[in-house]
Amino acid sequence: MTSESAGTDGLTREVRLYVFSQAAESGQVPQPAQIAAALDRPVSEIGRAVKELAAGKVLILAPNDGNIWAANPFCAVPSGFRVEAGSKTYWGICIWDALGICAALGQDAVVTAPCGDCGEAMRLEVRGGNLVRGEGIVHFAIPAHRWWDNIGFT
Amino acid sequence: MLLFRSEEHIDRWSRARDLPRGATLTPDQCWRLAHGWYKDKIKPDWRRHTLEETEALLAEVDLTGRFWNLRDH
Repeated sequence: MTSESAGTDGLTREVRLYVFSQAAESGQVPQPAQIAAALDRPVSEIGRAVKELAAGKVLILAPNDGNIWAANPFCAVPSGFRVEAGSKTYWGICIWDALGICAALGQDAVVTAPCGDCGEAMRLEVRGGNLVRGEGIVHFAIPAHRWWDNIGFT
Repeated sequence: MLLFRSEEHIDRWSRARDLPRGATLTPDQCWRLAHGWYKDKIKPDWRRHTLEETEALLAEVDLTGRFWNLRDH
C-alpha cells in the first residue's frame, strides 16, 4: 500500500493508463488481447504487465486465467452494482466500487444495487459531487486489515 | 461490501452464513470513502495511497476503532 510498483515501469504504466481510460470512456474493461493490439505489443508482454498491476493491487485478475476481473472500481463483467453516467453503463464489484465509479468519473450518476439479503433494488444518486439520494445500510463483513485476504469476498 | 435494506436484513444475511456482523456505514459515509479512495484513479498521475493517507481517509469518514485498523492486530 506504500507505492505503485508499476509506476516505475514504462509499459506497465502505459497498460494502466490504457485500461483505466478505456474503462472510463466506454464502460468496458479491456482484456490483454485488446490491450496488446491497441499498444502494438506482444500479448505475452501485456500479460506480464497485467500480472504486475495485479500484484500491486491495481487490478484484480479472474481466477485461473490472465483476464482482468476488475480495474477497480470498474468491473469487467456485469454485476448487480450498476452505474449509469453520461449515457453509459458501468459495473462495480460492490457498493463501494459502484460509488467509486461515480467519484472516478466525476460525473452525475445513478447507482442501482440489490439488497444483499432479499435482492430488492435500491437507488443512489450522485449530483454535483454529492450523494443526493441514498437508501439502505452499507455493511462491511471483513475488518479492514483483512480486506485483501480474499478481495472477491470482501 | 454489500448494501442492505435494514439492520434486520444484515442480521439475516450474517446468520445465514454463520458470520459475525461486521461494521455498517451510511450511504453518505460510503460515498465519502469511495470519493476519497477513487477520485484520482483514472488520472495519469494516480498512485496508491500510503498507509497513513488511508488511515486519515478512514478517520475523515468517522471510521475508527479496531475494525478499521489497517495495521497488524
